[in-house]
Amino acid sequence: MGLLSPQDEATLKQHLSGITLPVQLVLFTQAFGERSESGDVAKQILNEIASLNDKITVVEKNFVLDTEDKAKYNVDKAPAIVILSDDIDTRMRMYGAPTGYEFVGLVEAIIVAGTGHIDLDPETMKWIQAVDKPTHIQVFSTPT
Amino acid sequence: MAAANEKITADAIEATEFMDLSRKYRVTGVPKTIVNETIEIMGGLPEKMFVRQALELPEDAPS
Repeated sequence: MGLLSPQDEATLKQHLSGITLPVQLVLFTQAFGERSESGDVAKQILNEIASLNDKITVVEKNFVLDTEDKAKYNVDKAPAIVILSDDIDTRMRMYGAPTGYEFVGLVEAIIVAGTGHIDLDPETMKWIQAVDKPTHIQVFSTPT
Repeated sequence: MAAANEKITADAIEATEFMDLSRKYRVTGVPKTIVNETIEIMGGLPEKMFVRQALELPEDAPS
């Protein structure tokens, strides 16, 4: 049984219909230890999303064994979702199972990656594009 | 922001799953944003206000 209702699936499918670029959701999980269950939930959510649009694919990685990819994407905790746009790192990451409000953020990130369109004010975009030093943003939230 | 500039990386972190990080950054309410380990932004802000604070831009930042 899926996590999304048929109505939610239809709505989500509509939201994702504008995607034109391939989106890869690289999911790092670990089979044992804390947060392994969270990884299972993340996997189910991503697979449900990917089933609604053939441009979205899920690539599973093992947080313990896939050390090269872990280093490539600078992933230091699991579960982790790395969002790629046509195999290019968007530098957007999600850590933890994307449930509740986090799910909304994930879908928005997928749409950005899949359309190349960033819905920000032009002035704000200029400020952002003027950043010339490494900037690491961490946003803490909860599902509800 | 991350998608708009290669210098920027953005992590969305589930606070209750990563309690060690939540304690490190004293996350007592959400959303809470940490920028470069030093800038703290509490709550959800309007777009321009958030970006100004995150990038430490003055109130009259030129566009």
